[in-house]
Amino acid sequence: MGTLLQLSLRQLAGRRRLLLLIISLAALPVVVAAILTGLVSDGGSYRSSFINGLLDGMIVAGVLPIVTMTLATAAFGHELEDHTLGYLVLNPIPRWWIVLAKFLASVLVAGPLLIASGVATILLGLDLDWQTAATVAASLLVGVVTYSAIFTWAGLMTTRALSFALVYVFLWEGVTTTFLGGVRYLSVRGYTLALLHGFDGEVFDTLGSRAIELPAALVGAGVVTFLFFWLTVRRLRRMDVA
Amino acid sequence: MTDREAASAAIPTIQASGVSKWFGDVVAVNDVSLQAYPGITGLLGPNGAGKTTLLHLLSGLAGPSQGVVSVLGEPPRNNPNLYQRVGIMSEHEAVYGFQTGRQFVELAARLHQLTPLSPPVDRAIEAVGMAEAQNRVLDDYSRGMKQRMRLAASLVHDPEVLLLDEPLNGTDPRQRIEFQGLLQQLAKEGRTILISTHILEEVETLTDSILLMINGRLAAAGDFRTIRAKLDDRPYTVRIRCADPRSMASALVRLEEVESVSFDPDGSLVVLNRNASSFQLSVPRLAQKHGIRLFGVEPLDDSLESVYSYLVEA
Repeated sequence: MGTLLQLSLRQLAGRRRLLLLIISLAALPVVVAAILTGLVSDGGSYRSSFINGLLDGMIVAGVLPIVTMTLATAAFGHELEDHTLGYLVLNPIPRWWIVLAKFLASVLVAGPLLIASGVATILLGLDLDWQTAATVAASLLVGVVTYSAIFTWAGLMTTRALSFALVYVFLWEGVTTTFLGGVRYLSVRGYTLALLHGFDGEVFDTLGSRAIELPAALVGAGVVTFLFFWLTVRRLRRMDVA
Repeated sequence: MTDREAASAAIPTIQASGVSKWFGDVVAVNDVSLQAYPGITGLLGPNGAGKTTLLHLLSGLAGPSQGVVSVLGEPPRNNPNLYQRVGIMSEHEAVYGFQTGRQFVELAARLHQLTPLSPPVDRAIEAVGMAEAQNRVLDDYSRGMKQRMRLAASLVHDPEVLLLDEPLNGTDPRQRIEFQGLLQQLAKEGRTILISTHILEEVETLTDSILLMINGRLAAAGDFRTIRAKLDDRPYTVRIRCADPRSMASALVRLEEVESVSFDPDGSLVVLNRNASSFQLSVPRLAQKHGIRLFGVEPLDDSLESVYSYLVEA
């Protein structure tokens, strides 16, 4: 298992252009927060706009899914593209080990990067304490884990996983969940916002109108993660490896 | 009892019964039944014959659309434990280029959960003659060197069965001889080796036992020389279109290998002959000798033609 994880991490880390892209994306909200801090004075409406615009609009709805999508679809995508998946499946190891290694590699690369981005943005823009930072970190981590499960599956399902993921992120997570309240129960963005609001309702009270209940979000994220992990293992067992 | 007879009496290590594989409308492997025994068996056929798909089915990388496959008495599909006893080298030459050759073989050893790690890795690398270059990065290897390291990775767990898809691709003549020597040594140790290639001479030096695939079907199986001799003896029908069918027909009937000549309503000749190789040479010579313009020579038994020309012309 450790061997597979090490290999998967090395594969992701070896893609310099991909790393540069996700680091740039993760740095974007931090840069915007730094600029806003210099330009706009603190106040009630500022905090609300910051949370709605930068935390939800840019990080949770944009950077979080895009960075995770880029890494998680590549986890299996590159093996399929390079025709190296055979080296993994032609071994006496359970298929779920392979899936777990790919999934964990995405979480281990995307997680710290997005948490650092989210925490730095919040600390810079709102000058909050470390407890709030921990809330942001935990919520983003749940988002990373759930998205990683979905996009790892997508990477194994199709060679056009990135296109599929982009459509999913913008249509489902972006447009649909904004206009259809019930869909938030089936949305990773909805889970992440619910965790932010559920863990710290005072600071993130502005998210209240869009957040589902905390237990529902925790259960939803768990179910989606498990379901897509299982679907990925099933796919790996059934697919023809070229 | 000869070695071959002893092998025939044994239980086949690799077996396929009525196996087909199709992708949409394309039939890649069509109703193939085969057995392979300890020793080397060559899986021969032109590019696109279905060899790789068949090896994928035998290795469990793909599932058959129809039929049954077994390796060492077990189904290879979704049976990871079987890979403790089977080594596979696929046709894709891709490797993890950032690894050194040794790390690549070590990866295979770790995934086979071999402990201690070093002795089998050293042995496999030594066997393919790559000890000196083992610490170089795979991206810096030549194609032949990569192939040797890939073979080392498939040998590291000392498998009983080896499925090798075009393993000699990219190797130079010296490497090829070494490769062949190694495979012969492995076969002598009692392993079953199924090696696919589209180059007849690659297998001819290794074994007489071949499986010949043409257009997704198993066209012939057994001893290479016997197959070739049988094909020479089989009647073979050809349609000939030429400017002067009557003169051509009278010239053809004088040939020893020609059994009959008939006229088709469209003016072409249908010739039944018993020796395709000499017939193929005789037709243009006759046409030239009698000043007859040839428009076309078309085999009426496509599969046989393919098998024949493959074996004769290779």
